[in-house]
Amino acid sequence: MSDVKVELRDVSQRFGGTQALSPTSLTVRRGEFVSVIGPSGCGKTTLFNVVSGILRPTTGSVLIDGVDTTGKPGHVGYMLQKDLLVPSLSALENITLGAKLLGRVSRAQRDEAARMARHYGLGDFLDHYPHAMSGGMRQRVALMRTLAFAKDLMLLDEPFGALDSQTRLEMQQWLLRVWAETQSTVLFITHDIDEAIFLADRVVVMSPRPGRVSEIIDVPLPRPRDVDVLTSETFTTLKRRALDLIYGRAVGALDTEGDAA
Amino acid sequence: MSLSAARPAGSRSWVRVVTPLLSIVGLIVVWDLAVRIFSIPKFVLPSPGEAFAAIFADWDSIGRGLVATSQVFILGFVIGAALGFVLAIVMSSSGILYRILYPLMIVSQAIPVVAIGAALVIWLGFGLAPKLVVVAMIVFFPVLVNVLDGLRSVDPDSINLARAMGAKPWWTFLIIKLPATLTPLFSALKMSATFSVTGAILAESMASTTGGLGVYLSTMQGRFNTPGVFAAIIVLASIGLLAFLLISVWESQATPWRRTSVVPRRRRYRDSATLD
Repeated sequence: MSDVKVELRDVSQRFGGTQALSPTSLTVRRGEFVSVIGPSGCGKTTLFNVVSGILRPTTGSVLIDGVDTTGKPGHVGYMLQKDLLVPSLSALENITLGAKLLGRVSRAQRDEAARMARHYGLGDFLDHYPHAMSGGMRQRVALMRTLAFAKDLMLLDEPFGALDSQTRLEMQQWLLRVWAETQSTVLFITHDIDEAIFLADRVVVMSPRPGRVSEIIDVPLPRPRDVDVLTSETFTTLKRRALDLIYGRAVGALDTEGDAA
Repeated sequence: MSLSAARPAGSRSWVRVVTPLLSIVGLIVVWDLAVRIFSIPKFVLPSPGEAFAAIFADWDSIGRGLVATSQVFILGFVIGAALGFVLAIVMSSSGILYRILYPLMIVSQAIPVVAIGAALVIWLGFGLAPKLVVVAMIVFFPVLVNVLDGLRSVDPDSINLARAMGAKPWWTFLIIKLPATLTPLFSALKMSATFSVTGAILAESMASTTGGLGVYLSTMQGRFNTPGVFAAIIVLASIGLLAFLLISVWESQATPWRRTSVVPRRRRYRDSATLD
């Protein structure tokens, strides 16, 4: 099997008269963590819906593991800022939602989900309803649900956007641990540049009107990463580059001065 | 947010049972005192004792009336609720059906029930059928509107997520949409429980010649038998109250996530193998 997990070939999307996404090609390696950043309207979410298969692109094709999955859902795990937990199901039942929605959760699937949930700090909450859990815990359940459904490819669309900054930092490190242990491939949308760089092997910077990839930045920071990489020189350089791309030189320069102060 | 399950302070189970009972006892006490203090004559307002005595004195007629009215009430209620529920699901499944049916639903409510009742008697006679239609018409609308709201309250992203997981529409409906309709459904049922007793009485006074508490009520009124009227009122109020209580109990069983933090015992996770 090849080294490529996901391949987008000249994928583009029009909604009525609007070009939401210009023809875009992108290759994601197996086990890679790729962040996607860009201002609103740059087509990040469109790109995700295309990869997840719930949106059929106007042109181009999506290959997962070399198989054409254009417009076919059911191949990737999907997670948003909203946890989308079903209020009437327990944490464990939410984790196995994917199997439940196909009609049956096997004993083995339940055991595996419970083992995973315990391993990642949800052991005390297996039988709890979502309303009895904190925001961070709910996002963990949502990620476990994503993992249980598709261990090898996960699309995360601003999953920590609604959390406070401390919980968010905790969740980022937790996600890196999950990713490292499961060796899954992750596509991670965020508007937070720090988050994008901290997590990813590569950062895809997108720009709006029409949505397109303006540059892909390699992140050579060593792993495992701790919070101190956030203040390292490499990190700052990468951040400056990303800010330049998103806001243009002038604003980028101002922001960099702010960082230095 | 995580405390949304918490109940108001001091809500041990016996307190929650006793307090509402006390308020009803309080109502009866106030009624009794009012009759005594203002020396209200029996033909204007009987005391609670006299009203209850009238129930037992004429239990043969009242008991038969209770059976007949309960039959209308229960059957009409079930038919109306089922109709409202099914219509809500049908209407939410297609935008076109929704736009075609919604105005018709409004029209059905804009027509006074009494007016429709007159036509129903002409069409269906004085049997059970016209009465069931009247009660069902009163029940189905709140159920329809509330269940539609419940279905619409489901985040479209949840449905997208289910689709991204390759779910069939039927399972998405069963696991994600159906539970979201329960709370609004039960609100509608509780409201309708009391409305439809009124509906049953109204229907009986239009489409009955014998049996039923509605007919009993008219007879007692014709004889200026105020204790008899109040006997019927008490029995009718009890039907509504009992229906309300039963639905509340059913609701709390059907929507456990609204009152506890942990799933019911039979749904809890047990390891199939040894613990790891």
